[in-house]
Amino acid sequence: MEGFVIALFVCLILALITKYLKVPPIPFYILAGVLLGKSGLGIVQSDELSRFFSDMGLIFLLFFMGLGLKLERIAANRSAVLTSGIIDLNVNMLIGFVAAYLFGFSLTESLIIASAFYISSTAMAITSLIENRKLMMREAETVIWLMMFEDLVLILFLAIISSGNQNMVFLFIKIAAVLLVLYALAHWGKEFLVSILDRDDELPILFTFAAVLTTASFAIVLEVPETMMVIALGAAFATTDPDAFEQHARPFKDVFLVVFFVFFGVTMDLSGGADPFMIAAICILAIVSKLISGLITGIVIHGSALAGIEIWGNTISRGEFSIALAALYGSGLVATTIAVMVIVTSIVGSFTAKYCSHLRRGILHFGRRSPLHRPHTYR
Amino acid sequence: MSAMALRSLNLPGLGTKYEFETEKGDTVAIFFTKSGLIQMYTLQKGCRTPSAAEMTPVEARRLGNILTGAIIEADQESVEIAFSALADLRITIHTFYVPKSITGKTIEELQIRAKTGATIVAVCRNDKNIINPPPAFAFETGDAALVIGESDQIRRFEREIMVD
Repeated sequence: MEGFVIALFVCLILALITKYLKVPPIPFYILAGVLLGKSGLGIVQSDELSRFFSDMGLIFLLFFMGLGLKLERIAANRSAVLTSGIIDLNVNMLIGFVAAYLFGFSLTESLIIASAFYISSTAMAITSLIENRKLMMREAETVIWLMMFEDLVLILFLAIISSGNQNMVFLFIKIAAVLLVLYALAHWGKEFLVSILDRDDELPILFTFAAVLTTASFAIVLEVPETMMVIALGAAFATTDPDAFEQHARPFKDVFLVVFFVFFGVTMDLSGGADPFMIAAICILAIVSKLISGLITGIVIHGSALAGIEIWGNTISRGEFSIALAALYGSGLVATTIAVMVIVTSIVGSFTAKYCSHLRRGILHFGRRSPLHRPHTYR
Repeated sequence: MSAMALRSLNLPGLGTKYEFETEKGDTVAIFFTKSGLIQMYTLQKGCRTPSAAEMTPVEARRLGNILTGAIIEADQESVEIAFSALADLRITIHTFYVPKSITGKTIEELQIRAKTGATIVAVCRNDKNIINPPPAFAFETGDAALVIGESDQIRRFEREIMVD
């Protein structure tokens, strides 16, 4: 219990400092966890309580992701979303997978590393677009849709990898059935849901918490992965009043997710003898491969490689979803590799997000005669 | 005048974007982010880099007031407060500068409450505030009066009392 409080207190201070310096807090939570945990000073141990809070963090993160899914809008924007999404998926998955496999990870491990390598941090990308006042750029919209596409891929990936020994077709049918039931409940119960959410007493927040936990606990009965259950719940609730649900679930997500990150660091085992050269190579590749996919997307969607630099700068950061994958399926060396990658890319990413416009202007200035760029304007 | 094309777009995870191009070809874009902050971008025709301003909801409303012409002078302003719990009660607070015509007259003489329904809640005189001035309070030139009431009552006050 004392350890838990110490960890929480350290996170509070880190949150204050990172907000003040305008840098992403996630890498620092993990680092603090490593420092306090069994690979560091050993002050904080994970226990029943911290495991429960960490699980809640993951569940609420995925519930939020489900709430944010806007399938009908993706359908409306299909061509642009698909093109950039598929470029991003192919380039990064491939580079991540080949690199991990060549470094001696098993097939499954390589697949997990590749997914963590592929998926950028939605939270960091959106925060950096807002903080660096880049919303009006055409590339900002591309980045936002890219994040949405990555979320969809993650869901598919979670479904595939969590099927384990089960028959995958059977599992998919079960997931579809769960989704259908939840959608039906949300559809027929919409008035009831909205009437609960509109109250100003404790009911909306209690209901949201209970709904998420109840749905997650049904996972064991139905043998459908917990992750799928809460994403499905989020997607179903998104058809009623997603903003209200976000508002009521946010306090839980904010607190539990911090605990999740710090205890991910606490439980990280560095004694496995990680090869620093290998991890450094993965980190550098993680930055380079997003540059490649960014440049291709820039050329294909915006007709300018320079636009790709802007996309690159805002999508380098890997974050919450990579750590979630590591916590769910990665053990030992896989988790360490992903954690270091998240820490390095998110710190580098916060700088590139701030300065890639300068870089882009610099290239434009020096390369006036270079055939690399075509005339490009904002908007 | 041609109708301006206002484009609105819901960006997942971010909020709502409104954008339009002015007749002269400049572009204005407003983003209501989920955090509650509002960002306004303006892009001059022919320019590449927009300039941006980030506003709190209060500041954005203030800008809106200026743009809709609710504020006649920079130092006169009006704020509307809605109390959704009280049957959607809407109260407007407006500042006025006292014109010469009512200098020396008292609140009682002017029959402000009877004529307009609005109430003077404070007067600012030489950087000092007089809260809840009594009926016998006499206005002086340069006074700024803070008037409270429904928007109709404020309009009546402006028309009947604030005449030069």
